[in-house]
Amino acid sequence: MTVIKDIKPKNISTIKDCICEIDPKDLYPLPAPYDKVEELPGFKKLNDKFKEDQVVNLDGVVIGGLPPKPKTKEEEAVHVKAFIEAVRKLFTKEDNWTFLQPLVLSMEHCAKCQSCSDMCPIYESSGGQEIYRPTFRAEVLRKVYFKYVKPGNKIFNAFQQGDIKVNWELISRLYELCYRCTLCRRCATACPISVDNGLITRELRKLFSQEMGFYTKALHEKGTVQHLQVGSSTGMNSLVVKDNIEFIDEETTDKTGIKVETQWDKSGADVLLIHNAGEILAWPDNPGAFALLLDAAGISWTMSSELLGYDGVNYGLFYDDVQYARIYARHMEIAKKLGVKKIVMGECGHQSKAMAAIGSRIDNSIPREAAMTLMREIVFSGKIKFNPDQNYFPVTLHDPCNLVRSMGIVEPQREILRYLAPKFREMYPHGVDNYCCGGGSGFAIMQQNNIADWRLQISGRKKMEQIINAFKDEDPSPDKPKYVCAPCSNCKGQIRDLLEYYGATTKNGIYYDGLVELIVNAMVDIKEPFIDFENKF
Amino acid sequence: MSALTLLTYLAVLIYIITMISKVLRIKNMPIHMRWELYPVPHEKGRAHYGGSKLEEYEWWTKEHPKDHINEIKEMGSEIIALKAVWEHNKPLWIGTFPFHIGLYMLAANMALLVLAGILIIYGSSIEATAGGLEAVLYYGIYYIALIAAILGAFGSMRLMFSRIVDMGLRNHSSMSHYFNIILIGSMCVTLLFWIFADANFVSNIAGFYAGLISFGAIPELPTVAYWHIGSTLFFVAYLPFTHMTHMVLKYFSYHSVRWEDEDIKPDSKKGRQLADQLNYKVSWSAKHIDSDGSKSWGDVVSKLPEDM
Repeated sequence: MTVIKDIKPKNISTIKDCICEIDPKDLYPLPAPYDKVEELPGFKKLNDKFKEDQVVNLDGVVIGGLPPKPKTKEEEAVHVKAFIEAVRKLFTKEDNWTFLQPLVLSMEHCAKCQSCSDMCPIYESSGGQEIYRPTFRAEVLRKVYFKYVKPGNKIFNAFQQGDIKVNWELISRLYELCYRCTLCRRCATACPISVDNGLITRELRKLFSQEMGFYTKALHEKGTVQHLQVGSSTGMNSLVVKDNIEFIDEETTDKTGIKVETQWDKSGADVLLIHNAGEILAWPDNPGAFALLLDAAGISWTMSSELLGYDGVNYGLFYDDVQYARIYARHMEIAKKLGVKKIVMGECGHQSKAMAAIGSRIDNSIPREAAMTLMREIVFSGKIKFNPDQNYFPVTLHDPCNLVRSMGIVEPQREILRYLAPKFREMYPHGVDNYCCGGGSGFAIMQQNNIADWRLQISGRKKMEQIINAFKDEDPSPDKPKYVCAPCSNCKGQIRDLLEYYGATTKNGIYYDGLVELIVNAMVDIKEPFIDFENKF
Repeated sequence: MSALTLLTYLAVLIYIITMISKVLRIKNMPIHMRWELYPVPHEKGRAHYGGSKLEEYEWWTKEHPKDHINEIKEMGSEIIALKAVWEHNKPLWIGTFPFHIGLYMLAANMALLVLAGILIIYGSSIEATAGGLEAVLYYGIYYIALIAAILGAFGSMRLMFSRIVDMGLRNHSSMSHYFNIILIGSMCVTLLFWIFADANFVSNIAGFYAGLISFGAIPELPTVAYWHIGSTLFFVAYLPFTHMTHMVLKYFSYHSVRWEDEDIKPDSKKGRQLADQLNYKVSWSAKHIDSDGSKSWGDVVSKLPEDM
């Protein structure tokens, strides 16, 4: 890897070509048998034609979404003007009341002590690439803010924060760089002043999206726009989703011998269950298990077939406040129209945070609850008989960042696992100190260009290490199944890709799935195991 | 009234006015979206593992008293021990811990010096041989100043070393970082020289405070004392314009952001304020926002543009 170790934030606008290139040999080493770099596919090579058409000037990885490089000084000046205007708007209460106070506090008080650096799994996995240091992109924005936006003497501001030149190189690299962070906010927990570099990264994504129209296709066109227009970021409309759920109900009934029938649009139900619709398409056992469990517990529940009502995803959380608020407001309208007592979010971390915590400042009229607490209530209610021995295989738990660090939901899932999974063991570190799966903030759904290589080799590396280490005391043979419980749809997608990329299922019999599947698998009344390792995936 | 007295009051006035305006600016910002980060120490019985009230089944039906003592403990360990730096950057802690403790002690000594100054105005003499409160003040002022100066000077040198040697620190340091360290180091070194050069250090510095308080005469001081007082006055007036205001404004970083988990009811005062904020006009220019600056947040959220 070409490592420019001594790069400073101001060099973002002065260096020609890529600042660095990723070479897997230089990355943080994984434990055996996953330490053989030569067995991995490596990074997808971008051909010359691609490099001509796209902006490739940071680390050789391309998230996509930028316009072509400006051909003239005048074209560049238009981008520079728009960027500075975007930064200015970010610091006005009218345009950014949503996060103005946290942003200003983080912008103006960082002591640059770098206590946050060792907390970042991306910085550590990359072997200490300067550009991945949590403060790097924040520092670029800070310099621009002090130079162009913050009132006061310009010379004094430059004395405080240093100078920086805004040009196309800075804009394009900073855009790419705000997509080299999973917004896991682990760095923020280490800050003595409570500066939040995760927040700053998100604010950068916002200014690019909301002012300049720079966003990734996965999050915008295929994400929030499709969600708002079609009803789901998966592309499923109401008819398709009902059809799929009907099929899932039938499959679950056949598999368990227990009649399952999802209710749709039931007015006045106690619970409106909204899944991440990705579960319905990619992991149908999950909504099937939810339906079975809620019915078995005698809960009055429903799903909604209204536009957006059957998909709890909110990718606006990752890049755009307006798109976020549009989706959240519609979810709440649907719940109010149905007259339900509460919304329960399925196994999805960002959905839970978007609805239960952040959205409360937009509309707080219907209570929202994460699935973990409802599941714990059901499991310990005594209404359903369980046999934990049906889960007698090694189980470890992945903590979704949005559930633990952003919401403080740490114990309910553990209480269930301690009861229903006799061979449960923790990853280390875990709980609010966990490592991101590497797919956070939208990465899990991104495949474009060579971004998948980056998220599997770099952002997901620490999680992969944790998974391997969690089972190191077990028989490593592939016919002894081991289970990574990932109670979050996006995390599950990333862990699926990690296990496949590193061949962990083939090599060591490591499987993954959610929490509700384990609960149903322990139910005494099911006629055959709900989790079928032999035919899984 | 001497020029030095005037300068001192001017520096203090700049400090107070600027700090108050900075605090009010932050305090009066709009209510923002929730962005708490766990562990949140006021979560009674759960803070030790990072849990929250959201772990409870139908949490909105229950009362959740806050553990303010634990908040104070958490802030205390951060302010006094610089816990986060200790845990995540020990080489830096070796410098920054004595540096900060030195500054805290200098600030605490100011309170003792104000008391000593008042006593002098009322005829007391702050001497080691005076006995009683005066003697306590004498030794208190002397040893606090001495220890603070040593810690501050050592801390400054060590911090300068770290900022030069550690690439991560060096690459992110601006001119002001080095200047601030030199300034605070100078304050401490000149204090140390004053202590050692002046046999009447305590009575002179207490006399200086008495002169300030009474707007009266200031005792004749050694030259090094003027270097110390000058650098200190500059620091006092300069500090509010720097990132070092974190010493006050981190209160908001913690209490208004990191630990702020209030469930605001729509019919409360804050709920109404939030509703008002939805009337702010949006001027973001991207096509999908669909606003020319005349639409409110409420408008752009409720009505979707045809072309996004």
